[in-house]
Amino acid sequence: MDGYPLGSLDHNVPLIVVSGLRSDPPEQPPKAKGQVLLRSDLPPLDGNEATFLESYFEEVDERGKSWTAVTREEHYRVRVKTVGRSLVLPSRRATLPETIEPLTTPPILHSPFSPLSPSSALYPDGLMNAQWIKKHQEEIPSIFVCFYTLISDPKIAVQQDNRLKSALNGMRATLVESGYKTRLVVIILGDELARTNLTAEIIQDRLEGVRRGTGLDPKSIFYIPPQESTSELRRVMDSILALLYNTAIEYYRDLGRHARKKRSRGIVPQPTLPPTSGTSQTLSLPDWNFRYDFKSAIFAEFRQEIDAAIRSFEQAYEILLGQDVLDIIPSWSPRWNEARLLADIISIRCLRLHLWMGQTSLAVRRWQTHRDRISDFVDRRGRGTNNYGWQAWEARWAMVMANMIELVEVPGFGPSTMTIFLQPEKALFGERLQPWELLHHTGYWYRIAARHLGARRSLAHRIPDDDRGAPDASPASRVASKAIRYDTYMCPPPHEEYPLSGNGVNHAQLMIDCLLNARGQFQARKQHRIAAEISLECAREMATLGSWNEVLAMLRPLWEDKSFRSEWWLDISEDILWVMRRAAAETGRADIVVAIDWELMNERFTRRQNWHYDLAKSLDGVSLTSKPFITISDDLASSFISASFAFRTKEGRAGETCLAQLSLKSEALQVAAPVTLSSIRVEFEGHLKPITLVHDSDLPTNSSKEPVSVTAVAETKDEEDEKEGQLTGKCNITLRPGHRQVLEMNIPLREPGQASASRVILTYKTETFELDYTLSLSDLGKVTGWFVRGAAKPRLSRPDGHILHIQPRPPKMKLRLVEPLGQFYANEPIPLKIGLHNEEDDSANVKLDIRIVGKIIPRFRVDAGEHKREVDAAEEESQVTGLALGNIGSSSSLELSIHLDPAPAPTVYEIQIRADYHLESDAATPIVQVLPIHLNVVNAFEANYDLMPRLHPDPWPSLFDYEDLQDVSDGDVIQARGLAQQWCLVCHYASFATEDLDVVGLDMVVTAVTPGGRCRVVSQPELSADGMIVAPKTMYEARFGLVAQKVTLDDRHPVAIDLAFVVRWRRRRQVADGESNAINATTMTVGQYMVLGTEPRVLASVLHSSQEQSGLVRLDITIENPSSHFLTFGLAMEPSDAFAFSGSKQTTVHLLPMSRRTKTYRLLPLTRGVYIRPGLVVRDKYFQKVLRVIPTEGMKIDKDGLLVWIPPAPEAEE
Amino acid sequence: MSAAIPSVACLGVIGRNNNPLHISIFPSYDPAANTFSPIRNPLQFSLLLSSTIDVFDLRSKSSTASGDFGLLHAIDDRLAAYGFETNTGVRMVCIVDMRGRRVEAGGSGVAGQGSGAAGASTVGAGLRDSELKPVFRAMQSAYVRLLQNPFYDPDEHAPLGGKGGRRITSKKFGDDMKRIGEAWTPGVTTL
Repeated sequence: MDGYPLGSLDHNVPLIVVSGLRSDPPEQPPKAKGQVLLRSDLPPLDGNEATFLESYFEEVDERGKSWTAVTREEHYRVRVKTVGRSLVLPSRRATLPETIEPLTTPPILHSPFSPLSPSSALYPDGLMNAQWIKKHQEEIPSIFVCFYTLISDPKIAVQQDNRLKSALNGMRATLVESGYKTRLVVIILGDELARTNLTAEIIQDRLEGVRRGTGLDPKSIFYIPPQESTSELRRVMDSILALLYNTAIEYYRDLGRHARKKRSRGIVPQPTLPPTSGTSQTLSLPDWNFRYDFKSAIFAEFRQEIDAAIRSFEQAYEILLGQDVLDIIPSWSPRWNEARLLADIISIRCLRLHLWMGQTSLAVRRWQTHRDRISDFVDRRGRGTNNYGWQAWEARWAMVMANMIELVEVPGFGPSTMTIFLQPEKALFGERLQPWELLHHTGYWYRIAARHLGARRSLAHRIPDDDRGAPDASPASRVASKAIRYDTYMCPPPHEEYPLSGNGVNHAQLMIDCLLNARGQFQARKQHRIAAEISLECAREMATLGSWNEVLAMLRPLWEDKSFRSEWWLDISEDILWVMRRAAAETGRADIVVAIDWELMNERFTRRQNWHYDLAKSLDGVSLTSKPFITISDDLASSFISASFAFRTKEGRAGETCLAQLSLKSEALQVAAPVTLSSIRVEFEGHLKPITLVHDSDLPTNSSKEPVSVTAVAETKDEEDEKEGQLTGKCNITLRPGHRQVLEMNIPLREPGQASASRVILTYKTETFELDYTLSLSDLGKVTGWFVRGAAKPRLSRPDGHILHIQPRPPKMKLRLVEPLGQFYANEPIPLKIGLHNEEDDSANVKLDIRIVGKIIPRFRVDAGEHKREVDAAEEESQVTGLALGNIGSSSSLELSIHLDPAPAPTVYEIQIRADYHLESDAATPIVQVLPIHLNVVNAFEANYDLMPRLHPDPWPSLFDYEDLQDVSDGDVIQARGLAQQWCLVCHYASFATEDLDVVGLDMVVTAVTPGGRCRVVSQPELSADGMIVAPKTMYEARFGLVAQKVTLDDRHPVAIDLAFVVRWRRRRQVADGESNAINATTMTVGQYMVLGTEPRVLASVLHSSQEQSGLVRLDITIENPSSHFLTFGLAMEPSDAFAFSGSKQTTVHLLPMSRRTKTYRLLPLTRGVYIRPGLVVRDKYFQKVLRVIPTEGMKIDKDGLLVWIPPAPEAEE
Repeated sequence: MSAAIPSVACLGVIGRNNNPLHISIFPSYDPAANTFSPIRNPLQFSLLLSSTIDVFDLRSKSSTASGDFGLLHAIDDRLAAYGFETNTGVRMVCIVDMRGRRVEAGGSGVAGQGSGAAGASTVGAGLRDSELKPVFRAMQSAYVRLLQNPFYDPDEHAPLGGKGGRRITSKKFGDDMKRIGEAWTPGVTTL
């Protein structure tokens, strides 16, 4: 936007001059004739309010300079000028030059800005200049605002008011006399005391007095009472300015009306003096109409009437470019350029008006139209468009648009909106628009400008040398011809544009400025690729300036983030690389030079003629201070050498070797020199050590012309670096373009796990530099297959050929359980014997880990010769680690034993025995052998139980026997004197073992008895000393006699007894060392039984007669009454066919409390060897309840009643 | 009296990995020399095509269901880039030269292969997005024909997850592009 005359493009807003805020010295009375001085002698305001108001007006003025659209919400937009107590207005009439002869008639004087006045720059045929706009915008205010104080001191109030009146009257009179229509406005501030001293009425009266005394309009006088705070004052001033704004608009409306009136007169005014110099031409009527339209447009802009402004501007523009104005101005005349300037100014103002109205597409259209029309004019009437001047203007014109978009702040178009272009406004919505007519962001405009600047430079460089010399050095005629030939509108003449000597216009810098502006815009909208493109253009321009560091700084980010290269835009990348290489070479950045050379060797780039393509010559001509060591990787610069690594097999075993191939292919351009690498280092991820291959020029090169050559490389362990176990090999690593060299090697595998070739580092050394280039091998897609000598194509391509699974070395150490037992039982100690047998070829150094997992692990002991370990009982897990067993020779054995303490209950143990060892010959390869043992410990016996009542033989104690009942304490033991019962516990037990066991003892243990009761075992089965063989899964019976007795007779509570059944047993197997098998005791709880209740019971017992022949049976029915009641029972015996009996068939038995009685029947069975059923019914007389008769030995019971076993007759035995 | 009408300056196909698959460049009318020559050099066209990727990326956030992106941006007052994206992420770009072809006023003779009637009606006027649809339709069907070729492996041209990719070397596809670029003129509905 610069280059256009100052003020010609400003946003025109009303001008207000404020006086009385600062104490500038009063202006001297005007020297020049006709100037107008407005002044008053009253002192200016002072104090805080004055300083605040001054800064406030500065702020308002600053806002007034903005180019943004004035919206309805904005109450005013004005420019404010503050002066002291006086203001000088320019003269209304130009003076006559003193040199002319006195005229006969009094001259008609015109404005000093008018082409009619000889003193004006426009005289006699200029159209318009910025001076006129400037006059209205900066010199002649629409409103002259005077600030005064209202003195509240009543003594001097009247005097002050009168002074004020006279001052105002003076100024008014001066204004009226001068002819300016500037409004006079008075703002009176109340002083600090006004609030207290003056009432509203007094103030009203005084103001009214002033107003009347000066004849001011009521709208032109304001009173501001003293305000609380500055924000209040600001608010008041805002509202006053809003009111004044309307007044100001009125002022410009009057001016506009005046301009239109002059236009409608339709006459050509005559200049004060007829022109005597130049063409003596004066303005024609269209010229005048242009002037008037232009003026009305400017005044409309002052009023912010956009429509009216556009209308007038367009009218003026049409006249200007019409047949009568620009067409007839000769192109050599300075007026031609002035007219072009006016056309530009009008267009720019129109563009701005369009943008204000949101007509973005119309604005672009207007922009294009202007360019097309001017280009047409220049072609037709001017010096054509094929010269630097035109391109300069094109660039300027694009810049104008860019600047305008920025200054106007087109809504919805900031960088944050990410909008690339705006949609057309509604008025043009359905139309067929040029794509460019959608307003694009400023980045695009700056780019166009840069493009035209480029064209300007190339045209400038075509200026013949004759024209490039300074004008004073060449003959005048040539200077004249030059002036005609070159378009110098807003651009320097040829000898300044591109001088023969010295610096002319710095086109490159202009372009760089433009491009950087554009780049910022594109970057802000995330258009990184365009930004990169612009960076490249910028870099090229910087290269022409020779500022290589800047080039490098510009391109380095592009190079580093691999833009274009990673996406295979080869031609673009190539361009960037070459520019960058040059910059790097110039600045001595060896690393970048070499990296780019390395990359450009690739045959996918086009070949550059006469380029050496030899890495060794890379740094020729690059100035270096020291020999550089350069490290680059494939993520910075792609490589012309592609590498892949493949293992022969997918899996390998530790301790063995695996074949692998490293294939290096040179994809260099065919013209490139062969590259000899000094060494290659292959690195692995996982359990493989790196391999280094060193170049050895003594080894034969692959001179064969085959595309693929396979070389076997023998590696050796680096002796110095034994720990690392680095492998090195020697081979000839010279790569010809297009050649694939396959290096085959045998890699010893050590540790198990996964190994994958991760990267290969190629080292290249020359006299001038050393280079390490890192290539990643792990990328998928890089893997080729296996190369075989003689074949060009690889075979057996595997996608993960660079990965090897190394299996652990198979252990040959045997671990086993010696003499395994089929089953382990609870309550039995568990001995385990472990045998180790070394079947390896070499002696092994073994360490043992034992780990037991279960619910509760008992104490255990490990015994391995001299090494013994004991571990206490633990829960869940218990272990012995690192039990060193020392060396076990090849094919020799070792035994160790583990003893676990008995388990109290059935359980499960998981035992893991792990032998870690390594061979003496290969200490680096660890080998592991594991023996898992699953131990299921079960119970050896199971049993069920039956408690049967028996008749206690002893008589019951009698209540009447005093001595028996009385406590006779002998010592601490209290003799039991209560009721006693005899029981028989029948145990049926079976062995759950898998083999025969010896039971050496059976015991019944009374574990608990209720207090007040006693229980003891009176009989138990006897077993021989050797015990009894118990076969698995067979039931055995054992009977135990029990006697339960209460301590006292008074105790009536039943007694609970808890019993446990103990089987003592041992295994039957023979133990080698003669020591007998340990006896184990398995205890099984029987459960709880309730005895000695208080209910009466009936017990039947039989006694077979000793005379077997007779077969007589005595049946005793014993009724026990342990209760404390007197009970009566009825006994009835039914006759039966099976036997005859003697005894009462029906009888009644009375029982005293705590007594028992026995009724005896004698039976003579009629049958033998069967059960007979005595039909005996015992009935409680009182409750009428039949009591169950409980059988004892030799009897049983079923649901119908008692059954008595009659043994078979002895004859049957005979 | 002759007027300029739009013509195709460049057709580009950009792969899924933002890699160039195909670039065809067409000559534009140069009024100064009265000849046909490409308006920019191949490198500049490459840059123009790559710059459209940014716009595609920017716009794909507000997805267009049809894949037709319309005007991507105007590069300057002469060139404008239009774009289309297939379901598989292949992007087709048509760079139009708004003054690429000359047409005699009156619609009798049209330089190039454009149809006279259509040419006459659009002299000097702009261009609607929809007028480029036939171009993209034709480009897409040419691309589909290319994909139907069993020897064409799309993964080779845009490796999955990888970077870059080869260019399309099919002569038939190139011929198709040439035909489309030469035949299009505003108003043409089928290519």
